[in-house]
Amino acid sequence: MRRALIATVAGAGLALTACGAGTATATPTPGAPITIGVSVSLTGDFSSDGPALEKGYDLWAEDVNKKGGLLGHQVTMKYVDDTSSTQQVVTNYQNLISSEKVALVFGPYSSLLTKPAATVVDRLGYAFPEPAGGAPSVFALGLHSLFFVQPAAIEDNLVSYTNWVLSLPADQRPKTVAYATEDDPFTQPQIDKAKKLLEAAGIQTVSYKVYPAETTDFTPLALKVASSHADAVILGTQVPDAIAFVKTFISQHYNPKTIIETAGPDQGSQYSDKLGANTEGIMVPAGWTSGSQAYGNPTFVAEYIAKYGGTAADMSADSAEAYSVGQVVEQAATKANSIDNQKLIDTLHTGTYQTVQGPMGWDSVGKPQGGVGVFVEQWQNGSAVFVYPPSVAAAQPEYPKHDWQ
Amino acid sequence: MTLILEAAVLGVLTGGVYALMASGLTLIFGVMRIINVGHGALVILGAYLSFVLWRNMGVDPFVSLIVTMPVMFILGVILQIVFVRPLKTDREALSVLVTYALALGIEGLLGYFFTSNYVQITAWYDTASFPVGDFHITYVYVYGFLLCLAILGAIFLMLYRTTFGAAIRATMLNRTAAQLVGIDVDRVSAVTFGIGMATAAAGGVVFGITNAFNPGSHYDLISRLLTIIVLGGLGSLRGAVIAALVMLVIQDITAVVISPVWAAFVFFVVLVAVLLFRPQGLFGITVRDRV
Amino acid sequence: MKRATNTRVLTAGGLVLLVGLALALPAIAPDSATTNIAVFTMMYVGLATAWNIMGGYTGYISLGHAGFFGFGSYALGLLLARLAIAGGYTVFLFVPVAGLLTALLAAAVGWFALRTRAATFVIVTIAFMFMLQLLAENLTSLTGGGAGLGFPNPRWRGDFYNIPFYYAMLALALLALVVSWSIRRSKFGLGLLAIRDDEDKALAVGVPAGAFKLTAFIVSAALVGMIGGVYGYYVTYIYPQFVVDPLIGISMVLMVFLGGLGTVWGPVLGALILEPAQLWLAYNYGASRLYLVLYSAVFLLVILLMPQGILPSLGELIARRRARLAGTVGAAP
Repeated sequence: MRRALIATVAGAGLALTACGAGTATATPTPGAPITIGVSVSLTGDFSSDGPALEKGYDLWAEDVNKKGGLLGHQVTMKYVDDTSSTQQVVTNYQNLISSEKVALVFGPYSSLLTKPAATVVDRLGYAFPEPAGGAPSVFALGLHSLFFVQPAAIEDNLVSYTNWVLSLPADQRPKTVAYATEDDPFTQPQIDKAKKLLEAAGIQTVSYKVYPAETTDFTPLALKVASSHADAVILGTQVPDAIAFVKTFISQHYNPKTIIETAGPDQGSQYSDKLGANTEGIMVPAGWTSGSQAYGNPTFVAEYIAKYGGTAADMSADSAEAYSVGQVVEQAATKANSIDNQKLIDTLHTGTYQTVQGPMGWDSVGKPQGGVGVFVEQWQNGSAVFVYPPSVAAAQPEYPKHDWQ
Repeated sequence: MTLILEAAVLGVLTGGVYALMASGLTLIFGVMRIINVGHGALVILGAYLSFVLWRNMGVDPFVSLIVTMPVMFILGVILQIVFVRPLKTDREALSVLVTYALALGIEGLLGYFFTSNYVQITAWYDTASFPVGDFHITYVYVYGFLLCLAILGAIFLMLYRTTFGAAIRATMLNRTAAQLVGIDVDRVSAVTFGIGMATAAAGGVVFGITNAFNPGSHYDLISRLLTIIVLGGLGSLRGAVIAALVMLVIQDITAVVISPVWAAFVFFVVLVAVLLFRPQGLFGITVRDRV
Repeated sequence: MKRATNTRVLTAGGLVLLVGLALALPAIAPDSATTNIAVFTMMYVGLATAWNIMGGYTGYISLGHAGFFGFGSYALGLLLARLAIAGGYTVFLFVPVAGLLTALLAAAVGWFALRTRAATFVIVTIAFMFMLQLLAENLTSLTGGGAGLGFPNPRWRGDFYNIPFYYAMLALALLALVVSWSIRRSKFGLGLLAIRDDEDKALAVGVPAGAFKLTAFIVSAALVGMIGGVYGYYVTYIYPQFVVDPLIGISMVLMVFLGGLGTVWGPVLGALILEPAQLWLAYNYGASRLYLVLYSAVFLLVILLMPQGILPSLGELIARRRARLAGTVGAAP
């Protein structure tokens, strides 16, 4: 018993020395280099998106440093892994802010992790521009310091698509539609909203299935959709299921007139090298496409390819979203002439900001407004292009979709 | 109705693959009384090995087994000798921790070399299909099933027709008694672990063709595999095969008929139901002090 | 006689020092980075101690305790939502209710699971954990499913926020320790240890093994459920796969094994070493993706070099040294 106690006291002492004590934060001195902290998912469930975010952030940091830094401060990015877990993301932002005293922080991947991280960052008084947390529940948090840097709230991602479907002449329009979605705060709200809009317009739902995000075998689900013989297929997926569904459709010789997936087809080569020529005609909602002419985008794409190789079609939208975060912070800092977090928060709530995803602004709880929304992108001849609305379309939408090869 | 039939057929075909993976797991338990919770990670490792051969040298995934199975077998023997054999006390509990640590280590290494991007092995037979009645069956499932039959058949043959197989069965029945009659239980254990790894490699190939995977994919696999071997009866090869087929058919039918949401749940419900009446599983043996 | 009194004084003194340190921690290091680590560390001290009551004393290894952790979390969250409780100190008053609910669940699960033994028991607990996770994911109208469940926000500012949570975790950890220690010293505890050594013999001498095992299981689960509740409140948002997480379950087991299975203080030591180490490793090495490899290496080293755990191994070392010393003074071999 005595031995046990001594050992435990020693252990407690060890644990204490592992941590450091700290004081309140201070604003960086003019001209001094600053660190921007980000928690990225490098291992765990979201680990396939973490690296794409990093690339976007890195490219932005490089660009801003070439121009003399963020308001004269050279920027260093500091990445920490949140192992895709709530516990770690909460720890990471507290470490970054309270222990390492970074000047600014950017957001992590997914609405899931953004929610707990946002409450931490908010109570520590920092601004929280984030590239990937756009579910309705994120804005329900009511945090003034949060900014979702995408052209529209996630829920509305499929609205452009439903608009396009309903714009088709009545005799060509799909009569039936099948839905399948992960029960994920990113995918399900989009599907449910699209379903509401299409049902209201008289397009019949012949199948609607929600499946756990943890599913590994998507074949039975895809079979169900295929057997419905629906004219249109709307899927709430991430990369693995997006691919699995398409493969089953191919093997079952089921070719719907139109098919759209909420994520997957926007991830560049991660998607296209599994399907080859069969990406033809598949649609995805996208705020960004490598061919868009939005602010700074052609330069961004060129620099990305120069630094990381590959082609424009290989790029993932995640990198553009991360780059946009940097852009808005840069512009806000210039506007406010300060990198103080409170001033940035106030500044970001006014006006419009230009990014590679187009213009955007935010309401008081961080929901995007005033942006031009999310468009419909479609794979044609090996690359993904905007096809709707006509104001941004680089090509005509291919409808009905060509058959599988 | 066609849909149910189709789901049932799919269940049988994928059940074969799970049977293969589960057979290694249950053999390992039977011989060494350890629960290898790292089995899922080993399947993924096998998938990556085949993936590398396929991507860099264009080797057809099924053909790559000629290389990956022996490699995994040897790796299995080494892992058993280094990490499992030293466990003398509290075997079952510690073995879970050790194999879990191995799984994490494998996941980490795979993540380091391949990053966490999803990959998938593609081949002409993963979308090509032949029609059966009203629906289509993709070739890859048939090939995978045939592979499983072949390997399982080989294992059964070995177990019941060779001396070494008899040694394995003896060790499974009573380790001490086997030692007393002169069987080198350490060697039996090492080889069995190797066989388990080799079957994981085979399962990995089919898994790698039909699913997009990354280093983190092993968690979902292992929960199903563990359920299957308990349902079948820990240590019973026959039980693992039948349990795998039954479970996958029930799961796939539930997915299309009721909802995919409850299909995974049904897996565990069946387990609970069976264990209520037969705590030793379908084919498990009730030994005095162990279940 | 004198040595016994000395031992008792030292033990009491050590206890006072330890608890004092724990109570004073937020004053020593008030920055949120440190107190955050303290919250999670204290959480695992409680979890490991609670798990040990079942796994260490009875020998029945449950790998599904993360299910109770998650259940407690959801129970508290749903309670707060239904009763429209706002964030603040009153939330902590509801934690015992979450514990009670978890106890009820454990009674049902335990009744079923304890009909099996050894390896089957382990796998059945794993199955129950995944069932709970699936229920949490799929009963969307109740739990929010994949979108998660939110807790009320207490709106405490800055560095202060972590402190009430730290004390809540500390209180639960102390509760678990007191319970564990009293069980160890009681006839009930003796019965549990008898079950661990040889259940059939214990039954033969009249130990009510079924009732005892179930009680230990329920107590252990209730404590874990309460800790889960406070955890959910701390991180503000819980999701099925993160709160019914096999990693949490396996971590508490590893900590107990590291410190010493079946001892009272072993779990505490294990938690004090492993949790800060895990958080630190993830923070510093995650980015290089070697975090998992390092963690697994530490894991394996611990298990292979010290399978008994630190405390028993230390104990053995000291006992052997004492025996050697005594041997040199005594008779020749």
